[in-house]
Amino acid sequence: MNSPANAPTGATAGSEAPAPLDRNKFMVAVFADFVCPYSFITIDQMDRLSAEYGVRVLWRPHWLHPETPPDGKPYDDNPDATKRRAAVMDWVKEMSPEHTTQMRFPDRMQNSFLAFEALEFAVDHGRSMPFKSAVFTRLWNAGEDIGKVATLQKAAETSGLDADKLGQALRARQYSQRALAAVTQARDLGVTATPTMFIGRTRVNGWHYYEVIQTIMEKQGMTPLGDPAEVSQH
Amino acid sequence: MLKQYVVDAAKVPWKSSETDGLTFQCQVMLDGDDGGPEAIRFRFDPTSAVYAHMHLTSQFQLLIAGGMDMPRGQMNLRPVSIHYTDHNTPYGPFSCAPGHDMLVLHPKSGGLISMANRDARRKINLKARLLVAHLEDQHWSALEDKPGSRIQSLIPADMGPEALVIELTAGAEMPTAPAAYGRYEVVLAGSVHCDGEELGPAGFRHVQGDEAPAPLRAGPQGARIALLSFDADALEGGLTGEGIAVTAAQAMARAI
Repeated sequence: MNSPANAPTGATAGSEAPAPLDRNKFMVAVFADFVCPYSFITIDQMDRLSAEYGVRVLWRPHWLHPETPPDGKPYDDNPDATKRRAAVMDWVKEMSPEHTTQMRFPDRMQNSFLAFEALEFAVDHGRSMPFKSAVFTRLWNAGEDIGKVATLQKAAETSGLDADKLGQALRARQYSQRALAAVTQARDLGVTATPTMFIGRTRVNGWHYYEVIQTIMEKQGMTPLGDPAEVSQH
Repeated sequence: MLKQYVVDAAKVPWKSSETDGLTFQCQVMLDGDDGGPEAIRFRFDPTSAVYAHMHLTSQFQLLIAGGMDMPRGQMNLRPVSIHYTDHNTPYGPFSCAPGHDMLVLHPKSGGLISMANRDARRKINLKARLLVAHLEDQHWSALEDKPGSRIQSLIPADMGPEALVIELTAGAEMPTAPAAYGRYEVVLAGSVHCDGEELGPAGFRHVQGDEAPAPLRAGPQGARIALLSFDADALEGGLTGEGIAVTAAQAMARAI
């Protein structure tokens, strides 16, 4: 075969035998990049998963385009690249119409690394989930540059973080080593696409329907909060 | 026991059809109504954006003209391309370039179900394989004992399903073997002689069983043939008459 697309786009499941129900220990980790439109439509899925199943979701960075300069760079404007971006946008809007009404491609390819550093700050202050959503929204709805401290401070303000302290931490590059370690961890795990989700023992390469994630949860013995099946197990 | 179907594409009528805003022409080459294989040739109009969907059986899509672009995975299919999916594997949306011409080949009736259907999403095959391959000029090998003939493996047999393309010189016979789960032998160019018929481009034979079928023989201009073999996934899924299978069968019936 001669196509890079040979890898399954779906789940690569581990053992599917139901495990004892323990929401506190059940781990969901999402490796994503803010500049990835497929990751953008995953944020609502993961927030919903956390709320419906009572599981903790860990949001980790995978740096798709480390070659992007800190100030970003223009997208290729050749017809093929423009057409490809339009096709991706059409795809994303068909997959998640309810979450993409205001979505638009930013004007430039942006550098994610400063946002990864800010995400570490948010982790330390217990606000990583709302902060990651706010950063995505700044980029994909408002078209703002997440490579700028001011943009990340705006995201901090709307997610319960101290914007001034975040600004200080970013200017001092206080979290750069941690962000770099996180990016390295993703690479060491063999993450190559975003989002890559580890749902308990199952790895999902690429975006998938929420119903697929539900199926994966249930195959591992996880039921929604308040589900009668859960009550009967106690 | 060997079971085979022979279809001359030139004898199958074309229909113009429309489903969910998509317009296309199609030939129903095998309807699968007898429990056997289902094969449909589609020519989508170039403006179509074919919505995300899946079939309830394994599938080879064989692109013989035009193009298909799938943004996810940046799969840009150009002829000759193979796109294989296990049963209940969603794909798309995809767009079709002008001149689109494609064979959709199933081991049995597979229906059609839009991924907008949330019940269908709960039936997605979590271990599904999605394989894509293209015919490449530089990957030919000589065909043993057939001077001037050659072969190219697009999807090797150790992947499960297998896709080969063979080029035969005029009058040469195609090597043959049993096909436990079914194999489509599709003429891509030239012609072959099969059971007293001469099959041209897009004509095919489907064989299944534990006996090797009679060899196909290339016509006077030679032949290029795609050999597409299913594996055990061909036994899975299908139109069971319940649940989403009912919806899938109805959708396919409406479409064609």
